[in-house]
Amino acid sequence: MNHAIAIAGALIGAGLALGGGAIGAAVGDGLVGNATIQGTARQPEAQGRLQVIMFLIVGLVEAMYFINLALAFYFIVSVAAGVGG
Amino acid sequence: MLADQAPVTHPFFAVCGNGYWDLKVLKFYYCGFTWDTLLSSALAILLTLVFAFWIASLLKPGVPGKLQMIFELLADYIRRLLGEQTAGEGLDYIFPIAATLGFYILVANWLDFLPLSGIRGLRPANSAFEQTAAMAVVVILIVQAYSFRVLGVRGYFRRFTKPFELPLPARIAYIPINIIEEVTKPITLALRLFGNIFAGVVMVYLITLLLPIFVSPAAIVIWKAFDVFFVGTIQAFIFMLLTIIYFGMAREGLEHEGHEQSRAVRGHPPLPQTEEKA
Repeated sequence: MNHAIAIAGALIGAGLALGGGAIGAAVGDGLVGNATIQGTARQPEAQGRLQVIMFLIVGLVEAMYFINLALAFYFIVSVAAGVGG
Repeated sequence: MLADQAPVTHPFFAVCGNGYWDLKVLKFYYCGFTWDTLLSSALAILLTLVFAFWIASLLKPGVPGKLQMIFELLADYIRRLLGEQTAGEGLDYIFPIAATLGFYILVANWLDFLPLSGIRGLRPANSAFEQTAAMAVVVILIVQAYSFRVLGVRGYFRRFTKPFELPLPARIAYIPINIIEEVTKPITLALRLFGNIFAGVVMVYLITLLLPIFVSPAAIVIWKAFDVFFVGTIQAFIFMLLTIIYFGMAREGLEHEGHEQSRAVRGHPPLPQTEEKA
C-alpha cells in the first residue's frame, strides 16, 4: 500500500515537473524565435549570425527542460526502487 | 521492478568495499566506480588524443589543408571569445582548458551515435553525473584560483558584494545571493550536460519500451541523429562557452578600483581599455 502511494506520488510529481518544465521551455523557445524573426526582419543580412545565436539560446533554454526530464525519471526510479525494498 | 531495466542503475565495481554516504536522494559511493561510463569516457579520451595528435601532425605552415583550416577557424573563434571575456590575461592556460573540454565533450557525445550499449552495456560518457561533475568542479576550482590571482585577496572578497553601484548596506545584503550564485555555478554546469545526455538515454529506453520491435530501431536512429548531432554538439559548445564566461565573470570589479598598480607590479602590461577609463 505504502509502495503504491509512493509510486503514485512520484509519478504525479514527475508529471507536474515535466508539464511545468515544458511550459517554460516552450515560452523560452517562443521568445527566442520572436527575437530572431524581429532581428532578421530589421537586418536581413544578419540572419546567419542570428541563427547561430538562436540555436545556442535554444540549447540553453531546452537544457533546463532536459534536466527536468532526467531528474524526474531519476526520482521515479529511485522512489520505486527505494520504497519497494 | 522498474529499476532493474531502467538506465538509472550503473554496474558498480567496488575497489574497497561497498561503503557509501547516504545523501537521501542519492548514494555517494566513495570507493569504487561505475565501469560502464568509465570505459566509454576512456574510449572518448583515447579517441580525442588520437584525433588531436593526428591533426597536430598534419599542421604545416603555408597553404593549410581543409581540416587545418577548420580547426584554425575554431581556435581563432575561441581565442577571440577569450580575448573579449578575459582581455587576454591568462590566455595561455585558459585557452587549452576550454578548447580541450569542448573537444573532449564533443567527441564523447558523438561517440554515443554508435550502439555502445549493444556491445557491453556501455553508456554515453556524460550520462553519469559524476563524470560531468568532475569536469565542472575542475573548471570552477581553476576559475576561483584565477579570480584570486587576478583580483588579489581584497578584490576576490569584494566580488561577493556584487552590484558595486549600490550603497554599502544593500551590497552587504547581496552577499548571500552572490555566494549562492558561486555555489550553483558548478552544479548547473554539470547538470546541464548530464541532463541532456541522460535524457537521450532515457528516450532510447522509452522507445524500446513503448514501440513494437519492428519500428523501434528506425525510431532510435532518428532520435539519436537529433540527440547526438544537434543536442550533443550544442551542449559541448555551451559547456565550453560557459567555462569561458565564468573566467570572464571571475574578473568582475577589476575596472572599478585601482588594481592597475598591482597589475604593473606583477609585470603585466596595463589593459588598454581600463587605461582609458581611469
